Amino acid sequence: MTASKLHILVVDDEAIVGKRLKPALEREGYEVETFERGADAIARIDETEFDVVVTDIRMDEVDGLQVLDHALARSGRTKVIIISGYATLELAREALAKGAFDFVAKPFKPEELREVIRRAAAVLGE
Amino acid sequence: MASTGEEEPSEPLNGAAGSDEEAGGSAASSEVSLAERQAERALLERPAFSLRMRLTLSFAALLSVSLVIAATSWVVLTRLEKRLGFLEVADSIDSELLQARRYEKNFFLYGKGLEEARVHVAEARRLVAASRVEFGSLVGVEAIAALQATMEEYARSLADLDRPQHLPAPVIEERLRTLGGRMLEAAERMSTRERAEVEAEIRFQRRIPLFFLAAILVISIVVGLFLTHHILRRLKRLDAVARRIGEGDFTPVMPTRATRDEFTNLAIALNHMMGELDQRHRALVRSHKLRAVGRLTAGIAHELNNPINNIMLTASLLEEDYAALDEAERVEMVRDLVEQSDRARRIVRNLLDFARESEMMVEAIDVGEVIRHSLELVGNQLRLAKVGTHLELADGLPPVHGDANTLTQVFVNLFLNAVDALPEGGRLSVVAEADANGYVTVRIADTGCGIPEHLIDSVFDPFFTTKSTGKGTGLGLSVSLGIVRKHGGNIDVESVPGVGTTFTVTLPATSVPPPSTAIEVSP
Repeated sequence: MTASKLHILVVDDEAIVGKRLKPALEREGYEVETFERGADAIARIDETEFDVVVTDIRMDEVDGLQVLDHALARSGRTKVIIISGYATLELAREALAKGAFDFVAKPFKPEELREVIRRAAAVLGE
Repeated sequence: MASTGEEEPSEPLNGAAGSDEEAGGSAASSEVSLAERQAERALLERPAFSLRMRLTLSFAALLSVSLVIAATSWVVLTRLEKRLGFLEVADSIDSELLQARRYEKNFFLYGKGLEEARVHVAEARRLVAASRVEFGSLVGVEAIAALQATMEEYARSLADLDRPQHLPAPVIEERLRTLGGRMLEAAERMSTRERAEVEAEIRFQRRIPLFFLAAILVISIVVGLFLTHHILRRLKRLDAVARRIGEGDFTPVMPTRATRDEFTNLAIALNHMMGELDQRHRALVRSHKLRAVGRLTAGIAHELNNPINNIMLTASLLEEDYAALDEAERVEMVRDLVEQSDRARRIVRNLLDFARESEMMVEAIDVGEVIRHSLELVGNQLRLAKVGTHLELADGLPPVHGDANTLTQVFVNLFLNAVDALPEGGRLSVVAEADANGYVTVRIADTGCGIPEHLIDSVFDPFFTTKSTGKGTGLGLSVSLGIVRKHGGNIDVESVPGVGTTFTVTLPATSVPPPSTAIEVSP
């Protein structure tokens, strides 16, 4: 791991997801910012380049696919991890085809997400 | 023909339909519904006065009139025959007396013929004596007695002519002339009276066919009126029943007359048919609701994942970091767990409430609440399809009389249809307001693809669907219309291809206020 911390953005319209993931990921040594609205996440992505973006796919107004497009357009090296619900697995597959790194299906344990982030970090570190 | 006043069948719109709803649990039982049994009892407990009996009575009346006429005619003819016989006798007496007088004159002119005169008078006396009673009734017993006395005296005077020592001949001649004139006059009077009687009988006889014709005419008119009134009115009523069955009103036919007849069996058969139709309809509504539940389940499962995910994340981290967390953090996390479990429970309960086979509860309900509840049930589908909703409930919306659960089914179905028709980013607008005619109208408008004009008349037909095989049964709108019609309302559709479709549900308002706990709506 490099001296600079891995910079992660988490966006999910369920407030508890961000609230719980922030400390859970920070404990791993990552720098974490959380958002509840896709539009806010996109605005932040415009400001800063994130290493990893974790986004829920189903959100009102700006959804996960838009966040994905935006993040990839901002920086080719950003790894986007999709959180998908039961009814959006088709969308998740679409997201993978569009260049998402991987997806996690709800409900998931923190460790499952950490595992995916570790893999993303490994790819980024190469 | 005794009409007991045909009042129009006045059936409560859905009161009866609702109260006899069998408990949902018993699977498609063939048992006769309570309302149907009650109707059958009411129909049968009336005294029987069958159509056959009525027709038989009519024809019996006709036959008796004919018999009376025939008997009268026979009696009159017999009497006439007798009268003619007496007329003949009266004429004979008249002519015998005339003969007697002729011989009497001859005797005085030529001195012979006395014996013949005597024979003729004797014959006349015999004839009068034989028909004494009949002539007595005609001209009076006294007149007959007087005639008989006159004839006797005349005969005696004739006999006196053989005994000239008794009285001088001119005196006898004078007496004979007086008596003979009186005698002839009486006989002629009798004959005239008898002729007048015969003429009266003939005149009466001539009138009998007229009486007969009049009686037949009266009976025919009465029977004809009976046929139109009795049979046609019943047919008309059954026609109306058939029409309302077509509109989904399965209220049993109730008796409107004091007696029962062949139409009663037809009414019972119709009630039985309606009972069967009603059960089929209910089975259809049930199965259709389960389909809606199936469709909602996908959205519900997705929606459930959110609280479950929250619980899983929170519980996992609570376990991982338990020691490191301070008291306040732990309490907050546990509170989140409780809240999220509650959220999950509510999602499941909403669906179960909707899916549950409940007894029809017809009561005053708040349509606004039903609409809100229905929108909540399809909320996930709306979000997944990225459909925006606009809900507008007029202030002071009057309650409607109906079953909240089945009406929810109607709205859920219409909303799901709209979701299917809408492209991503489409809009669903629901506007409820009261109209001036005592109805609550709910307009459900989508900005979807619309329905082509040539198909718009078919959308309520059973098994009509534009969705691909396996996606729709084509029963949704048909079942929904059935439910709304049972509530005394209607569903109309308007559509402009490419612009959108508007379904308007009309439900009759009621003045009864809804109970505050009519339906459970989650906050």
